[in-house]
Amino acid sequence: MEPVLETKHTSKRFDMTQALDDVSFALYPGEIHGLVGENGAGKSTLIKIMTGLYRPDQGEILLDGEPVQIPNPQKAQGFGIAAIYQEPMVYPDLNVAENIFISHRDFGPVVRWGKMYREADDILAKLDVKLDVRMPARGLTLAAQQTVEIAKALSLEVRVLIMDEPTASLSAHEVRQLFRIVRSLRDQGVAILFIGHRLEEVFEISDRVTVLRDGKWISSTPRDKVTSEQVIRDMVGREVDDWFAKGETERGELLMSVRNLGKEATFHDVSFDVSQGEVLGFAGLIGSRRTDVGLALFGVEPADTGEIVFEGKEHEIKSPEQALGLGIAYVPEDRRQLGLIMPMSIYTNISLPMLRRYLNGAGLVRQRKEIATAEEFQEKLSIRTPSVKADVDKLSGGNQQKVMLSKWLNADPKLLILDEPTRGIDVGAKAEVHHMINDLAAEGLGIILISSDLPEVLGMSDRILVMREGRQMGIFDRQEATQENVMTAAMGQSASRDGGQAATESQR
Amino acid sequence: MSTLRRRFQPDQIREWITLLLIVLVLLFFGTQIDNYFSPRFFNRISTSVAIIAVVAVGQTLVFLTENFDLSVGSVVGFTAYFVGQQLSGNNDMAPGMAVLMAVGIGALLGSVNGLLVAYGRVPSIIVTLGTLAIYRTILVEYSDAQTVLTANLPEWILNLPRANIFSLGDLDLRLMVGVMIVVVIAAQLMLKYLPYGRRLYAIGSNAEAARNAGFPSQRIVFLAFVLCGSLAGLAGFMFLARFGNITVVAGLGIELASIAAVVVGGVSNLGGIGTAVGALLGAILIDVLENSLIRWLEISEFWRDALLGLLILLAVAADKVIMTRLRNLWAQRSELEVGSDGGELGTQEGGGHVA
Repeated sequence: MEPVLETKHTSKRFDMTQALDDVSFALYPGEIHGLVGENGAGKSTLIKIMTGLYRPDQGEILLDGEPVQIPNPQKAQGFGIAAIYQEPMVYPDLNVAENIFISHRDFGPVVRWGKMYREADDILAKLDVKLDVRMPARGLTLAAQQTVEIAKALSLEVRVLIMDEPTASLSAHEVRQLFRIVRSLRDQGVAILFIGHRLEEVFEISDRVTVLRDGKWISSTPRDKVTSEQVIRDMVGREVDDWFAKGETERGELLMSVRNLGKEATFHDVSFDVSQGEVLGFAGLIGSRRTDVGLALFGVEPADTGEIVFEGKEHEIKSPEQALGLGIAYVPEDRRQLGLIMPMSIYTNISLPMLRRYLNGAGLVRQRKEIATAEEFQEKLSIRTPSVKADVDKLSGGNQQKVMLSKWLNADPKLLILDEPTRGIDVGAKAEVHHMINDLAAEGLGIILISSDLPEVLGMSDRILVMREGRQMGIFDRQEATQENVMTAAMGQSASRDGGQAATESQR
Repeated sequence: MSTLRRRFQPDQIREWITLLLIVLVLLFFGTQIDNYFSPRFFNRISTSVAIIAVVAVGQTLVFLTENFDLSVGSVVGFTAYFVGQQLSGNNDMAPGMAVLMAVGIGALLGSVNGLLVAYGRVPSIIVTLGTLAIYRTILVEYSDAQTVLTANLPEWILNLPRANIFSLGDLDLRLMVGVMIVVVIAAQLMLKYLPYGRRLYAIGSNAEAARNAGFPSQRIVFLAFVLCGSLAGLAGFMFLARFGNITVVAGLGIELASIAAVVVGGVSNLGGIGTAVGALLGAILIDVLENSLIRWLEISEFWRDALLGLLILLAVAADKVIMTRLRNLWAQRSELEVGSDGGELGTQEGGGHVA
């Protein structure tokens, strides 16, 4: 049989990262093809190329064996390629039938509502779904919205349906419904590319499983010939780079201990200890809720159950001000949205959280003192800028990261929570950030390092807490934490015996 | 789950709520003011609503795309003055020609707004605040402090406000009211049955999805402003016919009145929700309230603007509080019913506006 859609030697590069590297991949009609890989393995880039959102730097796309160009999403639709994302894109004020058709069919110069409703009913019947087509989409559950999007894809006479983590926010019952629909689409001859983070789901639904890693194609295997161990090995099989190694630091006194921390519908029963001079890594895939734990510890989104003991005293952390007062600082992942005020200068950004310290008797800001502080950090963290008066949006990603660190280090924290500190910065800057983490730990700071970069967590952390979908899967000591162990736990396969033991030990 | 309740969610019955409010207001003042339900009162309300309602229908189109048009008052004033002056200078101009001229000028002024908003990507509040002032200043310069006088206008236009389609006893259905009704019905049909109308809702409902679907969003928004301008131009002509004497302050404050009508009538300032009929009902409710309150409290006409402002705030606040609550109630009940019969895909709690 001929593949309906094929990519040949496709490559795509963004600045410093090779997002896709010579990927050849084929999708056959009437198959459900699972696509797995770590964060950053290139899954999203691949589907964005297939749907016309990105154009490949190299390689070609074949539709029914013929080379084609897919310059935009409309063209992809024209070819019968549709994608459904985690967050469905419905029009809340239009009804179900309109949502299905509005992008591509008008039903005459004067809308024939009756005809539209009948056809929408037909399509939903094909999916074997009961949904009132006259009902406004506002207030539909995510699952129902997804069904509407699938119906839209069907009405386009879709031949390739790409589903990007469609189950991420569905309940178990809704997942079963979705799978039933997906299987019936396959039986009608549609080729389905299913991207998933829950390995057991991918195994349940897929006929074949393809693994990507670091932008490269690793394997494509029929499901009955592959084991989850093998897939996980394919996903992580990579050497840990040397410069990730954390230096030995003295583990000092217990700094913070967290017991059964939870937040409704977000995460629960998270328990761990952090000591001075220790780096505790938080590993997990997207949706594992690691960041939410960090936000709870910093009081941005306070937890609602469990206890936090900081320096021997129990605290209920309700606000960032309170957390800062205790000596907890949080360096967020998104520098642009959460961390830095881009059009402002470096020194004003650094002094901002501690502005009170810079006031003179009249309550005015002492600029000279601000600048002095900023210059101190410029030297200490080697921020590369002609002047601390420069605006932060003129800096490179790595230097912005350092400004953000300075801002929080200026608060003299005892515990530093770093959320994805090296995402989107280049290799050199990454190494510098790692050095800085080492130095800070050596100075006696406790550090929580949240990172999607598995080698980074493994290399930098003394211990690693693995989360999956809001649950703590285990805590691994440095010696026991291998890529396989950690990824197995993160993907929700039963943790290996070593890991399980480690978890109980460290929670004692 | 009851089909009726599923289809007619709070947003769909918003017009009925406005209608109910009008009835309640009428009933209340009927008990308070002697001889309240007189034909004179009906005629007075219907003629004064006509102009505002036509502008409000245009405003609705712009609102649906999550924009504003603050310049409509200046557009009404400018067209009223300009067409009035042309007619004064040339009494033989055909009535159709005069109307066409008014609509054309309105469209031209609206297209300036549309160009800047849709293609220049300048927020509509900035653009139309600017053109509000600019169009008015052009009018002031152009008029050279002269006034269009009733005496110089042709006979037919002076008779227009009193022209009836039919009379029922003392109740008159004026031609101008007829024009308004035609405009409202045409707009309502367009919104419901023309692909363009549906796309207006789509864009206001989820602009990102509309972009991804490849809608010509810019053209759709541009056209909404042109239509809004045209209707303001038509209203300018009606204004000229009604008042005859046109000074440079003609139409001042109509932007406020039209936005009040639209908002009170349930058109969402977040786009995607609202109808032409809703805008008409909003205009009626406001006018009834104004006229009745002024009579009842015996307060001066100068309170009118304060009343308008208060109504806008009340309507938005009520929408926020009451509609959100209704939506939640709806969703919860739906969920219960879904829970009981299992298989069906249900509705979620809350269901706020997806921007």
